Amino acid sequence: MSDASTTIHDPIAPLLESARLIVCCGPGGVGKTTTAAALGLRGVLMGRKVIVLTIDPAKRLANSLGLSELSNTPQQIDLRENLEQVPDSLGDGEFWAMMLDQKKTLDDLVRKYAPDPGALERAENNNIYRLLSSTLHGMQEYMALDKLHDLYTGGYFDLVVLDTPPTKNALEFLETPSRAKTFFDERIIKWFLPNRRAGFFGRVLDPGSIVLKLLGRIFGETFVTELTEFFETLEFLQQALQSRGEMIDYIMRDQQTHFFVITSADPRRMKEALFFHEKLAELGQRAEAFIINRVIPPFNPDDLQKVDADAIAGLAKNAQGLDSIDRAQFDALRKDLASTYKMLARLAVRDQDAIEDLSKKLGAGALRRVPLLGQDVHSIEQLVSLSEFLTPSKPVYA
Amino acid sequence: MTDMLHDLLDKRLIFITGKGGVGKSTATAGLGLALARKGKRVLIVETDTYSAMADLFSLTLSDSNIEKVKQFDGLEVVNLYAEDALVHAIKQFVPSDRVARSVIGNRVARVFFKAAPSVNEFSILNMVRYYLDKTRGTRPYYDHVIVDLPASGHAVTFLNVPKTLNGMVRVGRFAQICQELADQIEDTRQTAILAVCLPEEMPVNETIELSEAIEENLERKLSMIMLNMVHERPFGQTHDEVFGALRKVTPAQKPEELANAGALSRVIQGNALALDWYERDLIYIDLLGQKTASPIIEIPMFYEKEGLRVIERVADFLCGEPGGGDTELAS
Repeated sequence: MSDASTTIHDPIAPLLESARLIVCCGPGGVGKTTTAAALGLRGVLMGRKVIVLTIDPAKRLANSLGLSELSNTPQQIDLRENLEQVPDSLGDGEFWAMMLDQKKTLDDLVRKYAPDPGALERAENNNIYRLLSSTLHGMQEYMALDKLHDLYTGGYFDLVVLDTPPTKNALEFLETPSRAKTFFDERIIKWFLPNRRAGFFGRVLDPGSIVLKLLGRIFGETFVTELTEFFETLEFLQQALQSRGEMIDYIMRDQQTHFFVITSADPRRMKEALFFHEKLAELGQRAEAFIINRVIPPFNPDDLQKVDADAIAGLAKNAQGLDSIDRAQFDALRKDLASTYKMLARLAVRDQDAIEDLSKKLGAGALRRVPLLGQDVHSIEQLVSLSEFLTPSKPVYA
Repeated sequence: MTDMLHDLLDKRLIFITGKGGVGKSTATAGLGLALARKGKRVLIVETDTYSAMADLFSLTLSDSNIEKVKQFDGLEVVNLYAEDALVHAIKQFVPSDRVARSVIGNRVARVFFKAAPSVNEFSILNMVRYYLDKTRGTRPYYDHVIVDLPASGHAVTFLNVPKTLNGMVRVGRFAQICQELADQIEDTRQTAILAVCLPEEMPVNETIELSEAIEENLERKLSMIMLNMVHERPFGQTHDEVFGALRKVTPAQKPEELANAGALSRVIQGNALALDWYERDLIYIDLLGQKTASPIIEIPMFYEKEGLRVIERVADFLCGEPGGGDTELAS
């Protein structure tokens, strides 16, 4: 069924050749990080210098790559050491990976943009800075985008593959450029800084004073003082982050930026993926490819009618050491095999139906299926095998 | 079979977390249903923009409204949006509705609240407390409030927000509320924190990390680990030798070859896959038991097409009825 006439259009290979940024998004638990790494590796095998950036708080990419830890700096993975056979197509290709350490990234930023060497120390003494840099949810996304900015504009890498957190957080992540802009928006900061120009009426009518009063009432005076201090200390960061926020918005809209949605065939995950697709559209983006992971092989409930104890006994003739097995045992085995197979087939049919539904909505050309593989992927060799399912060079079942 | 719900019956607040894709929502719904069957009134709170409960129970959830699950008595569901929770929180701090409305209508305040980290988490936890405090006569309205938390990487951060904010604010009404929320989260007598996990490498590692992070940050233990989709042995051990030999001589060996292979190949390879799953599960169940001190409940894999049927079977199982296998073999 996979002859040339029915070859499916491959949405992925040409994008891997030309893209500068690929954003992988989708629901959790579908192998997104591993797929991002496999996509990156495929790009490397096309001769490109690729870095895979993961911002997921769990150290999954490290797991996928068989590395115990990734630091906040790009780490190169030596393919010659990890692969038995290095394909010729590797050429100048290089494989890099990085996992984000948000506190280090923010500290680096402060060091880089601070007007004086004591700025980092002052910042570290501020409670809000400490909170922002290591504890609070949301800051991680700001920082990820900052790293992305550096990697993208640094000029060394041909392609950045960005792995994102599961659905909800990834949506926040996409909204983050504008969110970071508002948080560090000059107008907002102005409201927290002492109003030097306006007189009494100016202060009373200044929307900032209303906000300060409100915040003081809710959060207490200490918090507001700390917040004001925070903005004073980090005023210099505001400019840098704001221009970065704009630059990142620009990068996200670039022609060479592509979004892939990664999902599994489970109907609920597929629904989530579709939701993601719609959300992307709302944000003015489009998913170029849907990668459906862990598709259960096409187990078919009708198969059981064709497989009786005789068929199993027939196969046993090819096997070694089964000459003395009696008929009753084949009957018993057949019964056990049938009960498990029946349940598996039910899931396989459910998956196929879900894939067909999605295919009707998005067009078959946008879908790519990766079969359920028997084992976890945690070596570069396994990553190469996985990556072969992402391109049309090897057959995938239609 | 022992009643697995016993330790949860006196926990009014139950947080559930787990890595994405481990069946967290199914386990949450199954637990909610199991408690409802014990005659309890249960509210399941989702904090996601994408509601799994709406799908599972065929509900339309909107605007943070609480809906009754029509299929099951005593079970209610809400998909809580951070913005609605914020409005509710602000109303607690300002003298009148008019002021609250003007605050919410203030562009500057809106921008600040939307952009400032931790406001969402605080507002949601504050709203959860409101649900817990609701009464019917002299009794609490809900016996249990189950909160479906974000994926485990973010869960500890989420639960740690009141404590962190309290450390910053220190005085005033807001600080007091933060303190109360933090105390409630750390109180093992009234609050349970459950992790849903799969017997696979990454979820197990993440659950181990989660268990450590909870002990470190919240000074308490993970109450329970619900190990989901544990595979049963596909056939009796007496067949191992014969099956192993058959597997070796099956013409199609790889999953991608099975579409064009014969029926027998598919039946053998399907069972081989199931056997691999079973054996892999054993390794990770063992690892999880070694690295965590919390009780582990092994929920069997239910091969059902319909999400609702899976929930019912999880609830059956949690209530101590036999699980696993196939209820529809005769069909």
